[in-house]
Amino acid sequence: MKNNGLTKHTPGTGDFIFIDQNRCNRCGQCILVCVVNLWRKIEYIISISEEYKEKCLECAACYQVCEADAIKFHYPSGGTGIIYEKG
Amino acid sequence: MNTYDLIVVGAGPGGSMAAKYAADLGLKTIFFERGRKPGEKNSSGCGLGPRMWRDFPNMMRELTQEKCPSIRAGSAARNYFVNQEGTVAGYVMARPTKSVSYEPAKSWITMNCYRSEFDPWIAEFAVNAGAELKTSTLITDLLKKDGKICGVIDEHNIKYRAPIVIGADGAVSMVAKQSGLRTKWAQDQITVVPQYDFQANPEKIDDIMGDETLAVWWSAIFPASYQVFFHDGFHQGLANWLNKWDKNPLVYLNRVINLKYYQRLLRILNAKPRELQSHLLPWLKYPYNTHTDGIILVGDAGGFPCPLEAEGIYPAMVTGKAAAEVAAEAINSENFSKDFLSKFDKVWKHTSIGEEFEAGEELYNIWKALPFSPQETMTWFVPMFMEIMGGIYDWSQPHAKRVRQIASQIKSYMPNALPFIMKYVFPLVAKIFEDDLDKMMDPQKLMSALPKVLDLIPKKKKPRRDDM
Repeated sequence: MKNNGLTKHTPGTGDFIFIDQNRCNRCGQCILVCVVNLWRKIEYIISISEEYKEKCLECAACYQVCEADAIKFHYPSGGTGIIYEKG
Repeated sequence: MNTYDLIVVGAGPGGSMAAKYAADLGLKTIFFERGRKPGEKNSSGCGLGPRMWRDFPNMMRELTQEKCPSIRAGSAARNYFVNQEGTVAGYVMARPTKSVSYEPAKSWITMNCYRSEFDPWIAEFAVNAGAELKTSTLITDLLKKDGKICGVIDEHNIKYRAPIVIGADGAVSMVAKQSGLRTKWAQDQITVVPQYDFQANPEKIDDIMGDETLAVWWSAIFPASYQVFFHDGFHQGLANWLNKWDKNPLVYLNRVINLKYYQRLLRILNAKPRELQSHLLPWLKYPYNTHTDGIILVGDAGGFPCPLEAEGIYPAMVTGKAAAEVAAEAINSENFSKDFLSKFDKVWKHTSIGEEFEAGEELYNIWKALPFSPQETMTWFVPMFMEIMGGIYDWSQPHAKRVRQIASQIKSYMPNALPFIMKYVFPLVAKIFEDDLDKMMDPQKLMSALPKVLDLIPKKKKPRRDDM
């Protein structure tokens, strides 16, 4: 199943997910658990897609799974981000 | 001045109940929602259980289809058993049994309703009771003065003051973090729950599913997956603890969707995917660190979802109410210390939620080891269960011979099943029955029934054709 078109977002979130490359141990758990595949590893560097603000489901699994505490997460600005109409 | 008696961060069922009861008790209360309206950010937890109607009857009787159009109650639940080959090996459908003791639990097992309708509905009770709801507001930190909690601050640096803050802000609770109660959950305390919503025609759902309201798909190829039916659609989702995934959670969820049986169900329901959702769900043996100076945590933020199947709304409502009552006492006593707020634990432990957690560890362990360990457990559990359930419907041999074949097959699962029973079933049974267990398992009582049975067994063994 393609997931395009199955999520709605209100723009204006600002940045709300950050990765500290000095702390990241490249374990890849964030890549494993992200339901919308926003994380990637390119040449041993893990980063989040530039489109994450329009695609993130705000579940925070990446933040919670990161045992190196390299991922910082806070919820996006009030009234922005993911909208669940049928949640 | 933004000064209140009580601040509640979060306007889900836990926050709204806390705000409602606090306002009922005369506290000047404000509660915050980061979405544009309550429920906008929430998914799942949408099967409402009958204990809500038992414990909050005046409120719940107002939950009608007019207020929440997605509502669908049903009296039946189905358990599908999917084997390693991805075949639905069988299913069991069940309704409330004779031992169910009260209405509405006798009439239906869950009332299902989208959070986008339920959460605003429940928040309205708090607003009507006099609590102030502030939406589209992200609370980013706690305010402290001389080391004591004195309020919260939002992302625009607006300050709200109160001597006590209830954290009802979900699995990734800012209140828990900033108060030092918890930075993160341990990986075996938190699950991730991806979920699809499908749209379907209400008449088709009624025609095809009848009064079934939910299903659990037990399987050897994915962690147990739940299906919840609403008026014009259904959810299909699954969960597992964060340290238990070896593939992306969506890979497993898509295995459910791609089952031949499931595809047929989608075709006959003419169902179309409508939304993809995902959230974290705390799933613990026992809640801990639920309060500190000036802070109480409720609902998911406090780790209160049921230890067996993680029902979250009802525990959130119960703990929200308990927190409001304790907050009111703290305000009357002008004592917001951790020691005083430990009353919160005493209160919730005396509720239905406290009773649930008395066997929390055993419930958690068995559930985690059974449907959430597909490769380890369900590979033998599904065929064993279906051998028992389905083996008899077979005309390949004389029936007596079939029974012996089935018994022999079941015996082959025993090296897996017996250690499982010893490790997970016995501790749970022992915990649930405690002292009564001795009486039930009294060897003399058990043996007294046996001689009559033994008399029926022929003394001489006849030769059997399948022995030759």
